[in-house]
Amino acid sequence: MLAYSLKKLLQLVVTTIGVVMLVFFAMRLIPGDAAAAMAGDTLSGAALERLRDQMGLNDPLLVQFWNFVRGLLVLDFGRTLTTNLPVSDLIRSAAPITLLIAIATIILAIAIAIPLGTVAAFMAHKGHKTLDNLITGLAMIIDLMPSFWTALVFLLIFSLTLGWFPASGPISWDDPYSIVMRLALPILVLSLSQVAILARMTRTAVLEVLSEDYVRTARAMGWSELRVLFRHALKNAALPIVTVVGLSFGNLLNGTIIVEAIFTIPGVGTVLINGINSRDYQLVQVLMIFYALLFVFINFATDILYRALDPRVKF
Amino acid sequence: MIHQGEITAPLLDVRNLRTEFATDGGTVRAVDDASFSIMPGERIAVVGESGSGKSAMAMSILRLLVYPGRVVAGDVLLEGTNIAQLSERQLNQLRGRSVGTVFQDPMSSLDPVMRISKQMTAPIMRNLGMNYKEAHAEAVEWLRKVGIPDPERRITAFPFEMSGGMRQRVMIAMALSCRPKLLIADEPTTALDVTIQAQIVEILKKLTSEANTAMMFITHDLGLVARLADKVAVMYAGRIVEFATVEEIFAAPCHPYTQSLLRTIPSPTALNTSRLPQIPGLPPDMKKAIQGCAFRERCRAATDICAREAPALTDRGASHVAACWQPEGLGSSPIDAQPDRALRRNDGPFRDRVIVEINNLNKHFVSSSFLSRTKRNVIRAVNGVSLRVRQGETLGIVGESGCGKSTLARLLLGLEKPSSGEIFTEGLTQMVFQDPASSFNPKMRIRSIIEEPLLVKRKGDWRTRQARVEELVKLVGLDEAHLDRFPGQLSGGQLQRIAVARALALEPSVVVADEPTSALDVSVRAQIINLLADLKQELGVAFVFISHDLLTVQYISDRIAVMYLGEVVEYGPADLVFNSPSHPYTKALIDAVPIPDPAREAKRASAVLKGELPSPLSEISGCTFATRCPLATEQCRTEKPKLRQHRKSREAACHYAK
Amino acid sequence: MSNTAITPPERADITRFFPVKTVMALRRNRFLSNSKMIGALLILAPLGLLILCAPLLPLQAPLQTNLMAMMQPPSLEHPFGTDRMGRDIFSRTLEGVKISLQVGLSVAALALVVGMLLGTLAGFFGGLIDRAIMVIVDIFMAFPSLLLAIGLIAVMGTGLVPVVMAIAIADIPRFIRLQRSLVLGLRTRAYIDAARTVHASQFWLMSRHIVPNSLAPMLVAASISAANAILVEASLSFLGLGIMPPAPSLGNLIREGQLYMEQAWWISTLPGVVILLIAISFHFLSDGMRQALDPRSRK
Ligand SMILES: Nc1ncnc2c1ncn2[C@@H]1O[C@H](COP(=O)(O)OP(=O)(O)O)[C@@H](O)[C@H]1O
Ligand code: SF4
Ligand code: SF4
Ligand SMILES: [Mg+2]
Repeated sequence: MLAYSLKKLLQLVVTTIGVVMLVFFAMRLIPGDAAAAMAGDTLSGAALERLRDQMGLNDPLLVQFWNFVRGLLVLDFGRTLTTNLPVSDLIRSAAPITLLIAIATIILAIAIAIPLGTVAAFMAHKGHKTLDNLITGLAMIIDLMPSFWTALVFLLIFSLTLGWFPASGPISWDDPYSIVMRLALPILVLSLSQVAILARMTRTAVLEVLSEDYVRTARAMGWSELRVLFRHALKNAALPIVTVVGLSFGNLLNGTIIVEAIFTIPGVGTVLINGINSRDYQLVQVLMIFYALLFVFINFATDILYRALDPRVKF
Repeated sequence: MIHQGEITAPLLDVRNLRTEFATDGGTVRAVDDASFSIMPGERIAVVGESGSGKSAMAMSILRLLVYPGRVVAGDVLLEGTNIAQLSERQLNQLRGRSVGTVFQDPMSSLDPVMRISKQMTAPIMRNLGMNYKEAHAEAVEWLRKVGIPDPERRITAFPFEMSGGMRQRVMIAMALSCRPKLLIADEPTTALDVTIQAQIVEILKKLTSEANTAMMFITHDLGLVARLADKVAVMYAGRIVEFATVEEIFAAPCHPYTQSLLRTIPSPTALNTSRLPQIPGLPPDMKKAIQGCAFRERCRAATDICAREAPALTDRGASHVAACWQPEGLGSSPIDAQPDRALRRNDGPFRDRVIVEINNLNKHFVSSSFLSRTKRNVIRAVNGVSLRVRQGETLGIVGESGCGKSTLARLLLGLEKPSSGEIFTEGLTQMVFQDPASSFNPKMRIRSIIEEPLLVKRKGDWRTRQARVEELVKLVGLDEAHLDRFPGQLSGGQLQRIAVARALALEPSVVVADEPTSALDVSVRAQIINLLADLKQELGVAFVFISHDLLTVQYISDRIAVMYLGEVVEYGPADLVFNSPSHPYTKALIDAVPIPDPAREAKRASAVLKGELPSPLSEISGCTFATRCPLATEQCRTEKPKLRQHRKSREAACHYAK
Repeated sequence: MSNTAITPPERADITRFFPVKTVMALRRNRFLSNSKMIGALLILAPLGLLILCAPLLPLQAPLQTNLMAMMQPPSLEHPFGTDRMGRDIFSRTLEGVKISLQVGLSVAALALVVGMLLGTLAGFFGGLIDRAIMVIVDIFMAFPSLLLAIGLIAVMGTGLVPVVMAIAIADIPRFIRLQRSLVLGLRTRAYIDAARTVHASQFWLMSRHIVPNSLAPMLVAASISAANAILVEASLSFLGLGIMPPAPSLGNLIREGQLYMEQAWWISTLPGVVILLIAISFHFLSDGMRQALDPRSRK
């Protein structure tokens, strides 16, 4: 277990270094350079050169890279071009909102998807196809609905038509009510597709376990279907489900970018899109790394959790 | 219908049971109109090939079938209660408590994430009304009874920490711990090695007779039947075709299928000088409705009525029924039209020309862990093996699983590189693999499959290659119509023939066959064995025949090498090794092989080899067999015996071989 | 070599098999006898037909404005209504579908080819090549896919080609992983060993045995990837980072309609339904293929 964790940790470090390098060097590939892209047509000649100097773009590439890495290590990410605010402040205010959305969505999705998937699997196992087909069919359709479109439809129905939730407005940590009202719809929209993915995966995992020999053994020992389901099937299916939750977290992050844009929520996604639109590549690269590390870390955590749950790998 | 000698009521009475699986290709009638009964304390064996419906029948009794399986008709009376009419809840009262079950695959039959203690104590607490402490003590006691060393400690283990044999013991302990009146054991030893199988069978016999537990023992091994059953039900294509006492089944079988099966097993007694009788053809496709007698296409005694109407079970003696229109079945006529050819031993002109020589061959697999590169695990898969194969002879290699047989084969073929030692071969070495299903590229037609070696070696032009392919396919007893099929469209037996054809394409001097018959149905095995024996005689090609099945190896081989933990412990002429083994391990192996003859089985001492194979990781300084050897002395534990010639043309690695 | 004494074939079963031609016909029919496949065809065929025939239909051209008919709700003349410049949403949607299909198919093809190539190299040769490829795959997979596409767009700019490239690059790592695991599974098959005993070359093993046997599952993955690419392109265009107006893509159609949700619900809603239908049909296609290509998974 320890050896495994260390190995995974090493992998995590390698990947992190790779991510930082990839982002940094990819951003240098932008035609022209960051300064020119930022300035557009407004500056020329000497002024542009000054901006380059100011941005450190005239330093050797490796020096630039070292400065960048050092900045990351001390959490000094520089300032934004448009508003001249420290990027770290921006992240500090945006990240909690994005994380809150993500965590609430995961919890909600797990709470709905696992029972749903289990029921579908149980029905399929027993040969009652109708309910199973209904659940899997719905899950597939929901999974394939473009999330921005679902969000718009929800916005149209629940905000614009029914007026249950405000479509815009400030989000303040001092006002929990505003948070709940503003984040309810985005979380709902994101949960829908997460539920769809997780329910399908749960169904697959549970269905597979239900046809295992040890489930038959449990039945042959006279245990009731419910006990077989809870004590044996779900416990064993938990392992693959944990992995899927980790992997679908990437999907979830994708989704937050979109719902933040639609529901005008000042999360990391909104900062990112604004950064791209204003060609603030310093900002963009920091945010890319933020997302990647979050995702990598979640997967590291689920890997470790998987190992911890499975007695077969404790040596 | 079935006569019972005793007056007591039967424990289990199955009447006209019919079970179906709804599949895409059609409805499979897995059990058709099965009727039989089991008396208290009686041991019934159910024999039949895979797919004949044995498991489906066993599962139907307790209604344990899962979708798409379904019991469609029939009654099952357990002590007079009709199980078909019970609710799920009432059924759960019977399962585990009145009827215990042990399944085939011990590796997957226990919940992998639950400790043994929990899996065992819960049913005891529920069924025997004990509290946890009592149940735990009871479970430990049962583990001791089934022969698990140090049960107090082992009970806290997870299943993955135990070997297959140990897990099967746990399953048996679990099934018997609630003191059922009937134990259903579905091929409980099929996945295990012979020595472990012998131990498990001994335990089952002992424990069931102590508690007067009846047992329904499902197997495809007639030898096991002779060893433990009181009565035998023979199944074919979903039907019980014969049911009788074990003595009658072996002494006076009535159904042509039973008769044929008994004759296709190599006899362990004398030198085998004639080819094995073989049942022609294949079992029927269960997805199609079967008209008339299901066996008729393979039956030499079939007449017109057999095609029209399925025979019912009729009386053939006091407690003997069979389902065949012919009163005597085949009688004494042979089971197929094959000429009864003499099986020549290796007496050709080349007999002493050595074409493969292996000197002090080693293959060690090293796995190092991530943290400490120094703490290395070394598996000595092949350890100092020296062997010779002579032109045109068959060398049999036997040993339990994990003893290094397959690694040796792969080394011979150059698929693995030896860690040290040398292999000299004259000519090409080719291979026939165990699993026909994965031996062929499923996307290629048989024609291209046989052609592939010729193509790789650029032998001849297209026309000569085609001619060669057609010649080869005939040589292995198939015809050109098979060449345009895909592997998925042929049966296992046919595929093994194709494998032989492919192996012979480049005219090799040696063909290594690694368990070529173990994935095949019993009734098809003899066909492949005969084919190999014929080819050896006709082509003068040498075979290395690897198998865990001693009777078959003994039948087909000129010489035998017995392997244990990567080493050859005995080597010599087949009949001599088999009839007067020099090494204690060889003797134990032979003792463990069940012989399809109840009289001989009854007389045999149950001299069961104790213990299990030591871990391949452990380093043993003395004799590798010392941990299990009944003759082991202090010298054995410290000094390693070398393989040496102790008698004319015989070698053994034992200090005390004479 | 005479074969007189050798066992006759198992005659009983020779007659049991169909002539080879019939078997092939049945195999082909498996594609059609499979309801998912039919479902996919039922959606894709009319859509394809519509796109091809669009110029012949009495529809307003996708880019043509009509200030006399702005923000019209769906009607016979404008099945999906019109937008704020009086453009016909239906013909714009058809144009968008064309782009969606282009993106979906190109991404799937790119990912399939590159994924098979690199995955086969990694799985077959192992060692350093494998490790190098997998480290890079891991790095790319560290990014949530949409985010990676966004980042790549930031680097490469917007437009059809960058969008295809961005989505494909985000998808390729998954194909490499899949192909690699398929190869690892196939590499230990006995038929590979059989070929190795006659000293077949590495290239022989790969081209004859490994690639043909991994193709079926990879094609299944490719059609899922097509559905996914269509969704990602729509998301990118929606965020203003994909196909840029005035060229219509389903994503930017919805983006344009977003501002008028209250007054003109149809502008955003109806193209969304079309995206959903296309995505579903590609999923049906993959399910259908899985069933048709793998007889074991038939239920
Ligand atoms: N889950 C299943 N689905 C479809 N057919 C099955 C299933 N299980 C068993 N069968 C069919 O039922 C028949 C009897 O099988 P089984 O009872 O397992 O035989 P045995 O135990 O003698 O090997 C076979 O033809 C087999 O193919
Ligand atoms: S003689 Fe007829 S009824 Fe008897 S086994 Fe042969 S075919 Fe069946
Ligand atoms: S050397 Fe000793 S332990 Fe080894 S087989 Fe002979 S008697 Fe047994
Ligand atoms: Mg069975």
